[in-house]
Amino acid sequence: MKTDLVTLATPFFVLAVIVEILAARFLAARARYEARDTAISLFMGLGSTAAGLLTAGVVAAATLFAYQHRLFTIPMTAWWAWVAIFFLEDLTYYLFHRLAHERRFWWASHVNHHTSQHYNLSTALRQTWTGGLAGTWLLWMPLAFLGFPPLMIATQKGISLIYQFWIHTEAIGRLPAPIEWLFNTPSHHRVHHARNPRYLDRNYAGILIIWDRMFGTFEPETDEERPRYGIVRNLGDFNLVRAVFHEWAAIGADLARARSLRDVAGYLFGPPGWSPDGSRETSAMLKARWAATRR
Amino acid sequence: MSFALVFAASLIAVLALVGLAAWARIAAPTPPLDEPSARVLMAEEFPGEPLSALWLSADGTGAIGRAGDKALVLVRVGDAYAARRLPWSAARDAAIADGKLTLPGADAATPRLRLAVGAAWPPPEAPA
Repeated sequence: MKTDLVTLATPFFVLAVIVEILAARFLAARARYEARDTAISLFMGLGSTAAGLLTAGVVAAATLFAYQHRLFTIPMTAWWAWVAIFFLEDLTYYLFHRLAHERRFWWASHVNHHTSQHYNLSTALRQTWTGGLAGTWLLWMPLAFLGFPPLMIATQKGISLIYQFWIHTEAIGRLPAPIEWLFNTPSHHRVHHARNPRYLDRNYAGILIIWDRMFGTFEPETDEERPRYGIVRNLGDFNLVRAVFHEWAAIGADLARARSLRDVAGYLFGPPGWSPDGSRETSAMLKARWAATRR
Repeated sequence: MSFALVFAASLIAVLALVGLAAWARIAAPTPPLDEPSARVLMAEEFPGEPLSALWLSADGTGAIGRAGDKALVLVRVGDAYAARRLPWSAARDAAIADGKLTLPGADAATPRLRLAVGAAWPPPEAPA
């Protein structure tokens, strides 16, 4: 069902990318497109759809199983149920997204979305191929166990994904303050995609930015420091396979040289950049070094 | 069958969008690096690591800076740059073939870094 909603929105995605490119070309809108970068983003989106089929059956079966053992029966026709799932799904997304950035095993699949050094609507379509295998979909199981029908969960997930498409743009500046306070906006999400130490691991929100404000991960975009996009160690070419699997390959190489269970655990579930001797830098270390230079 | 049709239509859309992006010519301008622009990029990518020497690739698409025992490397990728920090000895001893200096990449995201080499390599400040 999730695929259905997103599939329905796909023509809109294509049209919006066309509009953004033409606006940049003829109206000097703020947007940069590099053809090979765009190709990688779009092929990763296409591949993600195909890869999702591999695990779709397992995800659907697990969701149905959880729903069959539900605590309550929540009617899809009740307005309050939609209000409840809106907030609960958005909170679940925040937790997923934070996990996907702060623990390497899940970062290995999510890093794909961040590998572009551009921030445009095509970047929104740069989606993971390995998310299903990484198992983050399990985070949504409690909603089914609570009693939300699987169709309702899938619909809200689709709405969230579609919402997050339009915020991947530099063409929109800052919105009126009440909107910026409540919602995830292009400005907030630019921060999320930035690799400046100041901005690393911030603004995990899906639709509502309130979760970041509540849990201390909010960082506003500043005029003082423009976001520089991409990852801390950017890709050195436009190889699609490398773009998809590089972090998994890096984990494999690290595990091959691990000397203890602690090393294995650290390489798999430590923060990205973790190393036994501290010779590499995690986001926290980069932020600390940046903060020290400002004192 | 319907998935195959949607997938095929999506593939056509992808190719059309890539063509449109290429036609629009709205990539970031990346003129060949000169010393001031390379130093600005180096300062952005490697803040707090002052350079004792800087070498520009022959075609202006990359640079190597020396900061202590580290080589700070910039290589153009499309209209952006990939940056890596390597031991200086790895840069100094890197092989040159077909006019290209091939540096060992530091990770799976960049197995190799290649820069067009000219007569200026290695920089005069570098020990032999």
